[in-house]
Amino acid sequence: MPEAILQVSGLTVVRDKHVAVDKVSFVVQAGTNVAIVGPNGAGKSSLIQAVLGVLPRQVGQVEILGHTLSPQGRLPNKIRDAIAYLPQNFSFDRRIPMTVEEVVGLGWHTLGLQWPWTGHRARQIAVRQALGQVEALHLKRKRISDLSGGETKRVLLAYCLVRPRRLLILDEAPAGLDLRAEAEFYQLLNQLKQQHGWAILQVSHDLNMVQRQCDHVLCINRTLLCEGVPEVALSRESLSTVYGPEFARYHHSCSL
Amino acid sequence: MSLASEITRIIDLFQFPFMQRAVISGILTGLAGGMLGSFTILRQLSFFSDALGHSTLLGLSFGVLLGWNPTAIVLPFAVLFALGVTYLLERTHLWTDALLNIVYSSSLALAVIVLSFTGTYKGGIHQLLFGDILAVHTADLIFCGVLLLACALYMGLTFRTQMLITLNEPLAIARGVSVSFHRTTFVVLLALVVGISIKAIGVLLISAFIVIPACASRLLCRQFSHHVVLSASLGAFSAVMGMLLSAGLNLPSGPSIVIAQLGIFVGAIIYPQLYKAVA
Repeated sequence: MPEAILQVSGLTVVRDKHVAVDKVSFVVQAGTNVAIVGPNGAGKSSLIQAVLGVLPRQVGQVEILGHTLSPQGRLPNKIRDAIAYLPQNFSFDRRIPMTVEEVVGLGWHTLGLQWPWTGHRARQIAVRQALGQVEALHLKRKRISDLSGGETKRVLLAYCLVRPRRLLILDEAPAGLDLRAEAEFYQLLNQLKQQHGWAILQVSHDLNMVQRQCDHVLCINRTLLCEGVPEVALSRESLSTVYGPEFARYHHSCSL
Repeated sequence: MSLASEITRIIDLFQFPFMQRAVISGILTGLAGGMLGSFTILRQLSFFSDALGHSTLLGLSFGVLLGWNPTAIVLPFAVLFALGVTYLLERTHLWTDALLNIVYSSSLALAVIVLSFTGTYKGGIHQLLFGDILAVHTADLIFCGVLLLACALYMGLTFRTQMLITLNEPLAIARGVSVSFHRTTFVVLLALVVGISIKAIGVLLISAFIVIPACASRLLCRQFSHHVVLSASLGAFSAVMGMLLSAGLNLPSGPSIVIAQLGIFVGAIIYPQLYKAVA
């Protein structure tokens, strides 16, 4: 029986006195790629942030690798280290002096109390291996502000894989990339998932990618409207329920 | 006067304990200011440190009015002020610079009114505004040294966490980092450094110790860790250079240190251009 990496039950999130996520329950099994789809403002990002403990939840339970997320959003450090998260918009002040090697190195550390030079050698080796896997080793001495959008996403993937992870949570991670860079990003992500056996939970608007690469789809519009394998969850009837009949007609005519 | 006799005069001057205490005070303040300043400028808190410096005048003026030891009142005042402003910044939807402007100009106005009720307004304002590094006592140095140690331990042991918070807060929160705890602790340390340095540097010039060495370092460094170390080193180096300038040309000490910081900053602007031109 496959291991449940993430179990969410009856999750409700209220933002600014408005119910953003209403009693949502689902499971992410080990090694599976699960997509969350839904229209803008459907509560997809709120759901992901509540799962991570970034946003407080009003009701419900989140269990990651057998550990319950506390109401204050706390998890044991070893569980936190097994999760990697890429936000929707990775925005940063471009005047910050930080090299690619330093950014990826931040993913390697456990962020407890430790001196900056702790594990220097091991970190350096892990960072270079991770950059090598995303074919970005040549960027290691570059400043993060000098990277293109596609290069930044590769570096962030290296940040995720610089230490062993079990669960990768992506919130529209390729946002801002052009079509070619987006396709390359998904190809690399899929390849790394196969190599590392990650479970992935990702928010996506790209239904064609979801159809091709994901094992399971959650259709959300504040509440969980339907779920299943892409063929079922992305059927015309399901999309009509989630996005409305006009969109479902348009999507299916484009996919044919 | 020959150069040799001038050098002898300066060396003789540094034999006095008050000059030695002034140099040590400058180095300690430079190290602490440079270290915290390297994060302050990257987190866009420069104006916050400036407002903090100006507003401590209010704490000092209450100390003068009540006849209390100014250091004893300025430290808790600076911490409470920093926490209060941080709370306001998080809770109101106003622009940071606008809110800080309101807070610091009104506390400055209040401070001058409070000082006008004391007999020291005209005589003491100069020392409050520009400080007197030559008047620091051994107790001040010990306190400053302990504070520097506390800052170095905290920033050193949480260095990677501080880096991640500076780069992207959502990434840090997703890793389980309590950003609000670290933000508050940082602001309290900054307030303590500003508060303890007021006596030596004065309310008008203290933000230079936080901002100028850090900006010079930022211009010279590509790596974050180098930036922090260089910023602290430039803070200490500029203090020594400023004290030498002050002794050599018989200039006020605090402003001389700030002029030395400015010289380093201008050098940091020119150096990369020169390097490119030669290479």
